[in-house]
Amino acid sequence: MANIELVNVTKSFGKKKALNDISIQVHDKEFFVLFGPAGAGKTTILKTIAGIELPEKGLVKFDGEIVNLVEPAQRNVSMVFENYALYPHITAYDNIASPMRSPLYRKDEDYIKDRVMKVAALMKIDHLMDRLPARMSNGQRQRVALGRCLVREPKVFLMDEPLAHLDAKLRHFMRAELKEMQANFNTTTIYVTHDYMEALSLGDRIAVINNGQIEQLGTGDEMYYTPVNEFVARLFGEPEINIIDAEFVLDGGNKGVRILNQIKSFAIPEDVYDALAATGKTQFHIGLRAIDLSYSFERQTEHDIHGQVYSIEPIGNKAVLNVDVNDTILRTVSPPDLSAEMDSDIFVSVNMKNAMFFDAESHELVVRHNQAQYTKAVN
Amino acid sequence: MFSENQSLLSRLIQNLLLIIYSIFALFPLFWMALITFKSDLQMFNTTFFFTPTLENYKAVLIGTDYIKTFIDNVIVSGGAVLVSVLAGVPAAYALARFNFKYKEDLAFTILSFKFAPEILVILPLFMIYQKLHLYDTYLGLIWVYQLITMPLLIWVVRGYFEDISVEVEQAAELDGYPWYSVFWKILLPLIKPGLVASALLAFIFAWNSFTFSLQLSGFNIQTVTVASLRYIASDTVHYGQMAVAATIAALPEVILALLIQKHLVRGLSFGAVKG
Amino acid sequence: MAKTKPVVAEVTQENSLYNKKPWLTRARPYLIIAPSLLITIGILVPFVSAIFYSLTNYSFRSPNWKFIGLDNWFNALTSPEYWHAIWVTIQYAAATTISEMLLGLGIAILLSRETRFTKILRVVLIFPLMIAPVIATLIWQLMTNNSVGIIEKFLNLFNIYNFTWSSSPKTALFTAALIDFWVYAPFVIVLILAGIQSLPKSPFEASRIDGGSAWFTFKNLTLPMLKPFLYIALIFRLMAAMQEFAIIFALTKGGPGDTLMNLSVTAYNTGFAFMKFGKSLPYILTLWLIINIISKRLVANWQKVMKQASGNS
Repeated sequence: MANIELVNVTKSFGKKKALNDISIQVHDKEFFVLFGPAGAGKTTILKTIAGIELPEKGLVKFDGEIVNLVEPAQRNVSMVFENYALYPHITAYDNIASPMRSPLYRKDEDYIKDRVMKVAALMKIDHLMDRLPARMSNGQRQRVALGRCLVREPKVFLMDEPLAHLDAKLRHFMRAELKEMQANFNTTTIYVTHDYMEALSLGDRIAVINNGQIEQLGTGDEMYYTPVNEFVARLFGEPEINIIDAEFVLDGGNKGVRILNQIKSFAIPEDVYDALAATGKTQFHIGLRAIDLSYSFERQTEHDIHGQVYSIEPIGNKAVLNVDVNDTILRTVSPPDLSAEMDSDIFVSVNMKNAMFFDAESHELVVRHNQAQYTKAVN
Repeated sequence: MFSENQSLLSRLIQNLLLIIYSIFALFPLFWMALITFKSDLQMFNTTFFFTPTLENYKAVLIGTDYIKTFIDNVIVSGGAVLVSVLAGVPAAYALARFNFKYKEDLAFTILSFKFAPEILVILPLFMIYQKLHLYDTYLGLIWVYQLITMPLLIWVVRGYFEDISVEVEQAAELDGYPWYSVFWKILLPLIKPGLVASALLAFIFAWNSFTFSLQLSGFNIQTVTVASLRYIASDTVHYGQMAVAATIAALPEVILALLIQKHLVRGLSFGAVKG
Repeated sequence: MAKTKPVVAEVTQENSLYNKKPWLTRARPYLIIAPSLLITIGILVPFVSAIFYSLTNYSFRSPNWKFIGLDNWFNALTSPEYWHAIWVTIQYAAATTISEMLLGLGIAILLSRETRFTKILRVVLIFPLMIAPVIATLIWQLMTNNSVGIIEKFLNLFNIYNFTWSSSPKTALFTAALIDFWVYAPFVIVLILAGIQSLPKSPFEASRIDGGSAWFTFKNLTLPMLKPFLYIALIFRLMAAMQEFAIIFALTKGGPGDTLMNLSVTAYNTGFAFMKFGKSLPYILTLWLIINIISKRLVANWQKVMKQASGNS
C-alpha cells in the first residue's frame, strides 16, 4: 500500500545510460505497467525502486518520503525476478516460505503453512511443494517465484515478466488470476512486460519505455488511439500498424491526403485538415491500423487502391493479409480460412476516420480525428 | 571426435598406447607398495614372488620418528588450509561480487604469488624468520604455506561464487535477510562442495611442498618430504624402509584425490577451466 | 510551486547526499579482502629486502656486512656459472614442457574416447600428480637402483646393465625430465581432456558429413578450439619447470658436477650451502625477472585467445 515516485532518476552502468532522467508517479493500489522492448531499462526501474540499484542522480520516494538510502530489505517490497532467482538448495515450499522466516518479516510456522499452501493452490503448484527447483520445468519455477512474491503483504509488488515462460493457455489463466488477486490484495503493483496484450489488459496505466526514457505514459486507450509517436504506435496492435508516406494537398480539386502514388487523394475530417494545414508542411507519415483497411477482390469504389496479394499468415482466429501496392506492403486482417492466389489482384479501401498523422522528421503525432476525446489527464 | 566406425586395428593400437602409458604411470606406485613388504634379504634376488614381512614397517614406524613427521605434515598443511579458507573465502566473495577500483589488479597480484619462485622467497625469509623467532615453528610454516594455498582457494572459490546468479542474493535481501545471513544461509551451502574440494586440493599441494620446509624448519619440525630426503641421501641398503617412507607419504593424497574427482579440473587450473 | 523548489535543488546535483551509499558500505569490499592481502603480502615483504641484500656481501657466517654496491651483480654476470645456470634452466624447462605438452595432448585425445576402459583410466591416471615430487624422485631412484631396482632388472633382460641414470652428465637431464614428466604429465592431460570434453559436438558432426579427414579435423577444428586450454597448461608448466627445485635437489643436488645446476639450485647452493647470501641473489632475481616477463606475455596472449575462442564456439 504505497504511492511510489521516481523523480529525475538517472542510472548508468559504465558508459551506458540505462535510465535517463526518468520521472514516474505510481498511485497507491494502482496496477502500473512498464512496457517496452528488451534493454529499454524496465528491469532497472524495478531494481531502483527495490533498492537493489542506487541511481547516481534523482530520488526514489515511498509515500512522499525519500528512500534512496534505505536498504532493500527495509523497504518492504516484494519482487518476482525474470529468471526466477529461486534458492537452488531448498524445496519449493521453503522457497515460498523464505520471506516469512527472515528476521525482518518473521511469522510463526502455522501462519506460514497456511499462507504458503494458499498461494501454492492459487499458482496450481501445490503438488510440487517438496521438489527442488532443479527438478521443475521453467513454468513451474516461475510460479514458485511468483508465489514467493505474493506470499507477503508488502508495500508494492514488483513483477519482472512473471508470465513470460508459461505456455499460452496458462498465461491467459494466470493473467486473469493476477488481475483479480491484485484487486483483492489492494496492493500497488508495478509490472514489466514486453507483451502488448498483457499490458493493455492488465494495466490501469502504462508507461512505454525505450532507451532509458519514457516515450508515453497513460491509459491503454491513450496508447492505442493517440500514440505520442510512431514508436509507440508500432508497439500496440497486431498486426503492426501501417505507417507510410502521405502528401497533404492543401487546395484545389484534389484537396486531402495522397498516399501510395494514388492519383486521387483521400478526404480527411475537418479537424485533421486544419491541424495539418497549420503546420505549413506537406510531407507526413500516416498511420493506418490493419482494421481500418478493408479488402475486396473486385473494385468497389473509385477510391479503392489496386494491389496484389503478397501473403496470408493465419494467426489463430484471424489471418494477416499482406497486400503489395507498388512495392509497399500493407497489412490488413481477414478470416483465417481465406484462400487467394499469390499475386492475384485485390482492392483495398481505406477508412480515414482513425488515421493518425505523424511528422515525417520527428515521427511525433501531429493529429488524429477527435483527438481530445481520447486524451485523458496525463500522469 | 572419434567416428564410430574406426577400424579394429586402429582401436587396438589406441588401447595399446593407453595401456603402455598406464603402466608407466601406475606401475611405480604399485611396485613401491609391493616392496614395502619385502625383507632386505630378499630384495636382491626376488622380483615379484617373495614372502611378505612387516619388518620394514616396524622399523620405520617404531624405530624412527617418522610418525611425528607425518603428524607435523598434517598440522602444517591442515593449518595452512584452514587459514586460507578463513581469509580467502571472504576475499573470493569480494572479488566475485563487488566492483571496485584495482579489482583485477589485486586479483592478479594474488595469482602471481603462485608463480613466485620458491627460492626467491625462502632465502630472504630465512633471515627474517630468525629475527622474528618464526624459524622452525608451526606458525612460521603455516604462514609461508599461504603462498601455495591462498591463491588457489581465492581464485577457485571466486569462480564458484560467480556461478551463483546475483539475483539469488538480491531476492534474499528483499525477503528480509541481512547480508551475513545471506552469506551463511544461502551462499555457503551452495559453494560447499566446491569449497571442500578446493580445500582438499590445496591440502595436497601443501602436503607435497618441499622447498619451504627444507629451509624454514630444522629440528623441531620436519615435514614428510624433507624427512624422506634423509632416506635418499643415506647409503642405507634398507630399501624396504625407503619404500615404506614413500608409501606412507603418498597414501593420504591418493585417497584424497579420489574424493575430489568432480572439482579437480577447476582446482588445478585455478578456476580458469570449468571441468 | 515554492514547495517543490528545494526538492529540485537536491535532485539536480549528481551524486548528492541521496545518491551515495554510506562509506561503511563502500569500504566493505576492501575490508573483506584485507586479511588475505595482509597475510600474503606480509610474506613477500622479504622480496624487497632481497633486493637490498643483493647489494651487500651479507653472509650467514659473518653478520657484519657492508655495501659492496653492484659488485655482486658484476661478479655474477661475468661468471661462467651464471650463464651455465641460465642454460640449464632453459634446457630443463624446454625438455619437460615440450614432452609434457605433446605427449599430454596425445594421451588426452586417446582418453577422450568414451569407453569403460578410458573412464576408469581418467580417474586413476591422476595419481602421479598427487605424489610429492620429492617422493616421486625417491620412487624412481628405487626403481632404477642398480642393485634392486625393478627397471634395472627389466633392462637386464635386454642385456643393458648399470644404466647411469642420474650419475652421468649425459643421462642426468634425461632422468630428471623423466621424473618431472611422470609427475606432471597428468596435469596437462586432465586440463586438455576437460577442454576436449567441453567442445561443442556440432562442428565435428558437420565436418564428418562434409567428409573431412581425421587429420584435417584435428588441425583445423580441434586444435584451434583447444587453444585456451593448451595455453593454460603451457603457462602453468613452463613457469613451474623454470624454477624446479625439489626434483633436482632430491635427485643429485645439482650434480653430477654442475649438470643440473639451474638458477634455483645454484641460488640455493650459493646462498645456503656456501653461506654467501648476497652472491646468490642475482641468480634468484634473474629467475624472477625471466618468469615475470614470460608469464605476463603468455597471460596476455591467453586472454586474447580466450576472446577468440568464445567467438568460435
